[in-house]
Amino acid sequence: MSIKMKNQMKAIIKKDLRGITSNHRMFVTLLVVPLVLTIFVPTIFLLAIRFAPAEASDLQSLLEMLPKEPGGDLSKDLAGLLLNYMLPAFFLLIPIMASSVTAASSFVGEKEKQTLETLLYSPLSLRQIFRSKVLASFLLGMSICLASFAAMLLVLETEALLLLGSLILPDIKWALILLLVSPSVSMIAITLIVRVSAKAQSVEDAQQSAVFLILPILFMLAGQFTGVFLISSLLLLALGTLCAVLAFILLKKCMGNFRYENLL
Amino acid sequence: MNAVTLENLSKTYDSGKKAVDCVSLRLERGQIFGFLGPNGAGKTTTVKLLNGMLSPTKGRCLVFDMDPCENPEKVHAVSGVVTEHAQMYNNLTGIQNLAFYGSLFGLSEKESIVQGCALLEQLELSEAKDQKLSSYSTGMRQRLSLARALIHEPKILFLDEPTSGLDPESAQNVHSMIRHLAQEKGITVFLCTHQLRYAQEICTRYGLMEEGRLLAEGTLDMLRREINSDLTVTLQAKNIPDNLPCRRLDELTCEITVSSQEEIPGIVRTVTQAGGDIYHVSARLPSLEDIYFTLTGKKEEK
Repeated sequence: MSIKMKNQMKAIIKKDLRGITSNHRMFVTLLVVPLVLTIFVPTIFLLAIRFAPAEASDLQSLLEMLPKEPGGDLSKDLAGLLLNYMLPAFFLLIPIMASSVTAASSFVGEKEKQTLETLLYSPLSLRQIFRSKVLASFLLGMSICLASFAAMLLVLETEALLLLGSLILPDIKWALILLLVSPSVSMIAITLIVRVSAKAQSVEDAQQSAVFLILPILFMLAGQFTGVFLISSLLLLALGTLCAVLAFILLKKCMGNFRYENLL
Repeated sequence: MNAVTLENLSKTYDSGKKAVDCVSLRLERGQIFGFLGPNGAGKTTTVKLLNGMLSPTKGRCLVFDMDPCENPEKVHAVSGVVTEHAQMYNNLTGIQNLAFYGSLFGLSEKESIVQGCALLEQLELSEAKDQKLSSYSTGMRQRLSLARALIHEPKILFLDEPTSGLDPESAQNVHSMIRHLAQEKGITVFLCTHQLRYAQEICTRYGLMEEGRLLAEGTLDMLRREINSDLTVTLQAKNIPDNLPCRRLDELTCEITVSSQEEIPGIVRTVTQAGGDIYHVSARLPSLEDIYFTLTGKKEEK
């Protein structure tokens, strides 16, 4: 790819990101959900662990399934459970939500506002235009995801230090989640939106298609919280790889299907 | 090399509607081509076919010898398109919009801004350049679209009703700009409009469309020759004799159709000899509007 072409695609990415961030209502929505999930919810949990460990020990059955360290402290075990088994699932929800909101606005939003046709008259191929737009949605989705992680870790560790007197260590699963699973599900959400964007007439139409992607994650979340199953690092690696392959196939397929004629 | 070539170009939509029906024409560089006809005549569809947004059902079209179906990006690189459905971003200012489209066409940010400011100046939008597009009026948007289409100095401009929504003064300004672009810069203009009077002012060639078919194509003189180009003489006089074969418009004015201007002195003599006082005599060749209605009338008679 020539430098000129890269700059042309960069211009689309920059414009798309600006489109989202300048729409204050949408941007605030994009930030509020991660804020609640990664700061508000864990804080309440930590407070519960610290001040009402008896109620929190409803999770006792869950704890029993975990490998026990001899002489472990209940509060610290519960905190570890929170960080390493419950919170990771939120990091599947966040990229799906952020990427699909961005993608819907970037693809269907342009159609709604009649700016897509102008973009199609540019000397970039359909594939290049779409690639730039997918990349913009992906970058924003992942930035929100990573920023949420950093904010969560900062707040959670500070709280743990103050309330429980020690840090909680994140385990290897976080690396798998942030580097493999989150990017993959984010990409799957985007490709689904892109697939429906040719037919969808409104942004809401398109967003609804990503909803069913959230369902399996909600089930998993429920499973994690009730202790029906606990995801091991190995299972996570397998799941992540599967998602990555699926995202790659979907991406290839959705790009090949587009003709100018069925977009306008 | 022709700027535009259409060879038996046809487009039938999935709904079965024949939007363009076997249209053939060639257009040289630097022409201002008026593609004329009422709404639904197939003008916009032709522009979309020429830009690769639609693919023809039959026949083909070329822009500077490039097939928009095979190489849409190459065609886009040399064309500027203004249509009703090609809008810009409301959350960006006028100049930010131009800078964005400039960069899409490979201009650097600095080049886009310099070029954009010059265009805004020409189109009298300099004062609004830092206003968000959402505050622009229809006319301002239309002019900004023209600036957007010109940002990369295209070789051909496709303009679909470029002066709709403009006040007469802005429309006049846009006309003179189009004329200037064709004459000074050799840009070919493919202008779709249903305003025949306005087209006659600026176009050098015309194509008259109706229901997807090209009724006639050529310069105004060629089109006049195609119908019988009678002259319409308007006479304003007191006491017009009753034996003068004419159409009375009011008490003092009448119109007479003649086949050549040689007949005019005879008419004047008849009136003066009968004691009439002439205030005004003028002869007019058929306008584009007359030609269009004659042609569509002929078709209906058939």
